[in-house]
Amino acid sequence: MKSRIPERGSTHVYNVSKISKEEIDSMVERCVYEQPPFCNAACPLKLDTRALLKAVAAGNFKKALQLYEKIAPFPLILSQGCEAPCEAKCRLCERGDGIAIRAIESAVARFGEQSKLGGVFRSTKKQKAAIFGSGLFVLFLAGELEKKMYPVTVFCAEPDEEMYLRGAAPFLDDAAFTLELKRLKRKEIRFVFGCEITAEFFRQKREEYQILGASEAAAKTFFPVAECTPDVMLYEKENLIMGSGSGVMDTAFGAKKAALTADRLAQNLDPRNTRGREGAVESKLYTDLSQAEALTRVPIPLEGYSRDQAMEEARRCLQCRCEECLKTCAYLRHYGKHPGLLAREIYNNTQIIMGDHQLNKPMNSCALCGQCTAVCPNGMDMARVCHMARENMVATDKMALAPHEFALLDMLFSNEEAFLSRPQPGFETCKYVFFPGCQASAVAPETVRAAWEDLSTRLEGGVALMLGCCGAIADWAGRREIYDHTKAFLDAELSKLGDPIVIAGCPTCAKQLRSRESLEVIGIWDILLQLGLPEGAKGLDRPAALHDACGARGDSVTQNAIRSLAKQLGCDLKEPKDALDRAPCCGYGGLAGYANPEVAAELTEQCIERGEGPWITYCMACRDRFARAGQETHHLLELIYGKDAQNAPDISEKRRNRRALKRDLLLEYWNEETKGMEPEFKITYTLEAREMMDQRMILTEDVENVLRAMRKTGEAVLDGESGLIIARARLGNTTFWVGFTEEGADAYIVHRAYSHRMQVVRRQG
Amino acid sequence: MDERSYYTIDPEGKLKCLKCGVPLEKGKAKFLYLDNGFPVELPVCPKCGFVYVPESLALGKVLSVEKALEDK
Repeated sequence: MKSRIPERGSTHVYNVSKISKEEIDSMVERCVYEQPPFCNAACPLKLDTRALLKAVAAGNFKKALQLYEKIAPFPLILSQGCEAPCEAKCRLCERGDGIAIRAIESAVARFGEQSKLGGVFRSTKKQKAAIFGSGLFVLFLAGELEKKMYPVTVFCAEPDEEMYLRGAAPFLDDAAFTLELKRLKRKEIRFVFGCEITAEFFRQKREEYQILGASEAAAKTFFPVAECTPDVMLYEKENLIMGSGSGVMDTAFGAKKAALTADRLAQNLDPRNTRGREGAVESKLYTDLSQAEALTRVPIPLEGYSRDQAMEEARRCLQCRCEECLKTCAYLRHYGKHPGLLAREIYNNTQIIMGDHQLNKPMNSCALCGQCTAVCPNGMDMARVCHMARENMVATDKMALAPHEFALLDMLFSNEEAFLSRPQPGFETCKYVFFPGCQASAVAPETVRAAWEDLSTRLEGGVALMLGCCGAIADWAGRREIYDHTKAFLDAELSKLGDPIVIAGCPTCAKQLRSRESLEVIGIWDILLQLGLPEGAKGLDRPAALHDACGARGDSVTQNAIRSLAKQLGCDLKEPKDALDRAPCCGYGGLAGYANPEVAAELTEQCIERGEGPWITYCMACRDRFARAGQETHHLLELIYGKDAQNAPDISEKRRNRRALKRDLLLEYWNEETKGMEPEFKITYTLEAREMMDQRMILTEDVENVLRAMRKTGEAVLDGESGLIIARARLGNTTFWVGFTEEGADAYIVHRAYSHRMQVVRRQG
Repeated sequence: MDERSYYTIDPEGKLKCLKCGVPLEKGKAKFLYLDNGFPVELPVCPKCGFVYVPESLALGKVLSVEKALEDK
């Protein structure tokens, strides 16, 4: 049997990109996951406050001190003197007290055990640094350079460390002073006390050192015209690092910039270049404040927080991180990546010309349902990224057919063998056409029939019937060519019916068909609201949870119409968590279930966990996936038309249902006979075989074709161990194998079935 | 020179070709997929050349190689 959709090759190369870098950049930018927390953004020294508070909350003061020492060589000086702009930016301030970050930092500086590892594996740099003068800037700069492993010498007038520290940080309380003095003495900073800091002294010393720094006062003594360029903290004419500061934080920031300048100078590089982004920034991060509970600050005693108090206060931190989409989307959680990162990786995947495309599966596993866009504060659109990536991969012939072939063939089946388009008997053209959608005919054919019979009885002007697929499957697969072909085909069929108003039975069909300007599309729910419910329509006698369809996302008219109809039916509706535009996808959307059954199952599970059944849906795919997951689920139309099947047909039954519906309606309403479709032999299946076939996407008609081929050629193998006869046939792009036993001449019991896409041939030699 | 076989299965007389009535033997075969070919040794009928792919091979090695090639 010839393949319906050609398989691609893997050795030829196309390089056509349908996504520009600018487009992907603008999409990725919407994701604020990697934006810094507000406290961190406000800190010019870039303290990782979130991580520090997390470590303190867990009682890990050692780790917290490591983080703090990254920005502060003298932690107590900074924590006691810092103006703490971070505290004002804490999002908790909007609900109550912001976190007492400075007091926690102070506790970290007091209780944190100093890491002993520092310096063991690091080697001292060759360039030597000399810093002249006194004050906080010199102290901080010496600390920064020591951290960078420069041998540092400080030349100052003071007689000893104690006096030096007293002068630099007069605001330290006694306990802090003692600790900080100990820390200063432990550092590998060489002090030369009692110097007379004069221009002459500087001239004598400068030749011995490669890096030169000074307090502002000392610099002015050496060079009365010395001016500091604040970006690089440098008197550029003499390459003399200098600075002061208007406060402790500002001074610490100046010393940090100065230390970077020292690095650049030591490497003979321009100190202005490649410095990265320095100083405080604005953050675009989003924080969900709805869960903010502990709003009152732990009071700070005069002597500062104890360990326990610091831990208690740190535990109030919300750990600001935008994970709105990750909270609601099982697909993103499955891959454990925020959409900004995943989108970038998927884009990169489309740009690979030769090599492994490792992101094919992730891009094909997205349900394209648009939930992330609805819950994202900035409208990050993963569906668009994945859809564009799929189209790009198909257009460049890099997308394998395997993940989507079954769905695409099913769509072709819907629009060929199972396709039906007829005007209402008695009409040549019609005012309306009922388009129930492929899944409705597959899952609930009796409901489709009853709905059409009702509409054609109660509406004026004739209601044609069109059983087929709207093209969503080709669209989701990124198969533009097949989609365009489907669109043209449906347009031609609609034209034959007199271009009627489409009454869609499925929100996804409605959305797909509405994307064409030429068509007027309404939902059957809109019509039923106008006409009133048919006689005998009855809701459930128990409360039920309503699951919104992703096809209706952003379509409040449909969402409201469904609710009104359900109420008219007498249903007692309960809204589950994440309803309306925030509703998750059942796992059918975007063909996720075909490309990645595991992710699709997680999506279904997530839907079900939101509420308590019974469920009411208005999309037949949701109804089917919920029922398959063992949930009592009713499509609203099944309740309205009293054809509440409560079934969960397998893949073969879904095809049989569509065929039978077409055959029965053609005969009953248009007096057309359909040729027999039953095989000329009898096949029965063991239960195990049916389950195996459903899971392996093998249809009963595939099995029939294998047996038909075997009857013609006689080719098969007898497995002496299992006693099964095993036959095979190449059908399209797949080889199917069937293991069976014979029950007389024309009857078979099928025990096993499997398939592979590789072709196998005999080899000579 | 003989091509190296990536995979070998010996039917050990447990399989019989239904058409020819003879046991399958270890024979030379080739898997083809997406412009790639892999020489293998599989149970083959010495008379009619029927090549048998057992279920465990189809769902194991063959499937994993298919997936790897699909992502190339």
